[in-house]
Amino acid sequence: MSFLVAAALGVGLLIGMPIAAHLLRRGKARERAFPPTSLVPAARSVARERATLEDRALLAIRGLLILCLAVIGATPFVRCSRLSLTRSAGASVAFALVIDDSHSMRAQGADGQRWERATRAARELLASAREGDAIAIVLAGKPARLALAATTDLNAARRSLNELSESDRSTDLDVAVGLARTSIASLSHHDKRVVLLSDLAGDALPEGEPALWAPVPELTKPLENCGIYSAELRGHRISAHVACTSPAAAAGRALTLVDSKGMQPVPLAVRAGVQEIGLDSSAKLEHPELQLTGGDALQSDDRAAVAAESAALGVLVAADTSNASAETGGPPVLEQALSALDSNAAVHPIALLPDDPNELHGNALLLLDDPGGITPEARGALVSFVEQGGVAVAFLGPRAEQTPLGATLEPFVHGAVHWETQTPSDIDESSLSWLGPEAASLHGLALRGRAGLSTTDLLGARILATFSDHQPFLTERALGRGALFTVALSTSVEHSNFPLRPAFLALLDHFLDEARTRRGATQSVAGSEWQFPLGASVAIDGPRGPLAVHERGAPAGGSHKAATPALAGRYAVRIDDQHEERVVTLDPLEITALSQKPPSNAAQARAGGNAGSVDASPELGFVALALLALELGLRVLRRTLRERGVTSAAALRSRAS
Amino acid sequence: MSALRQALDWGKLAPLRLRAKSVADGVYAGGHRSRRRGAGIEFGGHRSYVPGDDLRFIDRHALLRHGELLVRQFETETDRTLCLLVDASASMSYKSDSAPAAKYAFAALIAAALCKIALASGDRVSLDWFGGERTVELATAGGREAFERVVGALETAQPSADLHGDLPALERAVARVERRALRGASVVVLSDLLDLPNGAEHALSSLGVRGKTLAVARVLDPDELSFPFSGPLHLRAMEGEARVETDAAAARPRYLAALEAQAQGWSERLLNRGGSLVPLSTADDPIKAVRKVLDALGGFG
Repeated sequence: MSFLVAAALGVGLLIGMPIAAHLLRRGKARERAFPPTSLVPAARSVARERATLEDRALLAIRGLLILCLAVIGATPFVRCSRLSLTRSAGASVAFALVIDDSHSMRAQGADGQRWERATRAARELLASAREGDAIAIVLAGKPARLALAATTDLNAARRSLNELSESDRSTDLDVAVGLARTSIASLSHHDKRVVLLSDLAGDALPEGEPALWAPVPELTKPLENCGIYSAELRGHRISAHVACTSPAAAAGRALTLVDSKGMQPVPLAVRAGVQEIGLDSSAKLEHPELQLTGGDALQSDDRAAVAAESAALGVLVAADTSNASAETGGPPVLEQALSALDSNAAVHPIALLPDDPNELHGNALLLLDDPGGITPEARGALVSFVEQGGVAVAFLGPRAEQTPLGATLEPFVHGAVHWETQTPSDIDESSLSWLGPEAASLHGLALRGRAGLSTTDLLGARILATFSDHQPFLTERALGRGALFTVALSTSVEHSNFPLRPAFLALLDHFLDEARTRRGATQSVAGSEWQFPLGASVAIDGPRGPLAVHERGAPAGGSHKAATPALAGRYAVRIDDQHEERVVTLDPLEITALSQKPPSNAAQARAGGNAGSVDASPELGFVALALLALELGLRVLRRTLRERGVTSAAALRSRAS
Repeated sequence: MSALRQALDWGKLAPLRLRAKSVADGVYAGGHRSRRRGAGIEFGGHRSYVPGDDLRFIDRHALLRHGELLVRQFETETDRTLCLLVDASASMSYKSDSAPAAKYAFAALIAAALCKIALASGDRVSLDWFGGERTVELATAGGREAFERVVGALETAQPSADLHGDLPALERAVARVERRALRGASVVVLSDLLDLPNGAEHALSSLGVRGKTLAVARVLDPDELSFPFSGPLHLRAMEGEARVETDAAAARPRYLAALEAQAQGWSERLLNRGGSLVPLSTADDPIKAVRKVLDALGGFG
């Protein structure tokens, strides 16, 4: 509080002035000489009564008037519950609203739902914006996205705000903050701010400028909650995953199957964190759902749809254990890498590529390590698998040039593949930039050979990455709803240290994502994008009606159709003539993650908005005028009444005389 | 003009000499008949004989006609002494905002006018005081110079002194007047009758006995008569230690009643001794005030 504000508020102390004036005027009568004083009776008590406050109404009005004047002098620095932007010297402000639309924001706090409170705060801030202010809106549900690029069109900002809705996404706050900072970085405004309207549950907030302002600290108040974040059918049993914020939240609660008569609820273990609970599912239910008994701060995650048995992403791995395993033993490197990714994928090792397409059905990803050729029958099954949305990846090794008669590497590559032992030791990092920061780990590879892929043998595939001599390292070929990937290195550590680099895991993760989006895992986390072939006819019906499907470009080029289910629940998906059912689940971190501490006061002060303040001068001015008019009215009224009383008393006296 | 003028608020009554002459001129100042009956020229009626009466005045014709001893009475014009006793205590210096002058100034004007009238009628005048400073007592004297001396003494005197509780001082003043006032003299006391010591009524009323005529002119300020104050009051007497904290509206009726009761007491006490109380206000017309005093003395009528 500045000196001026304190001085202005200090004027409020003058509320005692009317009382002091009254006491000075009435309290102590001046002594005067009067010869017949001995004849005057004393009336001390009456004199003291006169010293008391005679007209409390007028005194109250005058006191309120002084208070109003004091507050007028102190505004716009006086805080109020309504949020608003403070301005340095009245300059325009550029601010990015980071609104968290993750699942945890659907919780019910003491002040109402967190999401409602956040959007209300955003509207209040927007209401205090003036012409010339720039506003960007960033949503912090995963993936973080820009709902409104920085604009000075306040109406557009209001419309954008009205279109927002809550979701069950994971939290992607750190990325959202970065996105918000980027969105206003290039603006010419001197005063820039990033406003966080989030429960701050998730990763640590990144440091940087502009500083962060979290104007609604009540959003970070801890809440008690238990929720079912996923459930799937496994034979006659249902495997449910439940997360709780604290043991107190889990106490006295149980899990039960909805519409299942005679089934005993299974109590939760009284502890915080995640727990897996198995339930017997002998009853044949078309759309089984689980329900948690009792109540908590977040009701929506107390009920969850049970995914079908094939919900897990099926991954087939065909690798030669003798060649593709680590020297320390254990399963092949591919299998170890998949388990390290913790992708909830069901990995099935296979010795040979099956000839029957039905054996591949139900899986989404096929990984072939150093295939020694594909027979025509297996090729037919593979093509059928890929055309129906499967993703197949071939890691080519020395066996690629040893294909037996009648077997080829089609549909991955056309013609013979040569194993080259004279190879450059690097992969062009720039060609793999779409993979993310892990691409840099491919620098300085120790290669003992590579599969030489001639561009003429790629059957129209796109080259996604190249070696430093511009030979293809990774290619992609779309086939039907699926895709074929060809990698010019095997996963054997005897031929290269490529499997030991982080980029290998990132590449596998990319393949899993492709498989998940193309084949459409029947169980995915809210906010994950479902991708469909551009030419496919797609219709999705979700918990709140049809889900919009739109066309978008892929990171590595090309385009496809995509839909992003933001709410957990059961979705009916129709792709051309095929109907399937998908279940969207929650990220357990949305339940168990604790809120961080809001940015420090110093940081918020640096953000220029640690005090929600409002200029109430006009309103207070009107109040002051009204009070003044009221006082004058009261005085006139009382004088009139007094005169009437005097007149009537005089009339009575004259009549009596 | 002396410093006394500056100390005392004469108001509209200054200068005293001219104002007194003006007031006296306004009052009918013809010769006044003596009420003394006895030896004289003009027959004044009969009365029953009482032992001790001069046998020369027994009316033998009436004795023969009615068979009753009657004594003839005669009225005679005679000179009469006017004895002025002026209160110059501190309370007489009081003057409110609405009053034309201080109480002492008004009393001095009345005294000077009476003096003028008396001297014009051939009577003699004396002047005495109770209270006050620089007071000059004047022995009975007549003639034009007597008026100048009286006016000079009235102008010189300064109201002061606390007579509250000082009965001997008052009794000494009364004794001086009694010595000067012979039988048939008129005694005029000019005072506010406030803050006088206990026994003052008895002392002053004794001036009306032994053939003297006594008129006590009570001079009060308009504020003392009406108590026009409002709100809380803190009053202090000008004599004595009396201090009162009160509320004007609540105290007014009781004060006026007490003032009236006090006047009534004085009036009754004076009547018992043949005197009379003349209530005056400094706001009164001085001419009417002098006439009221003269009426009380029986000089007009």
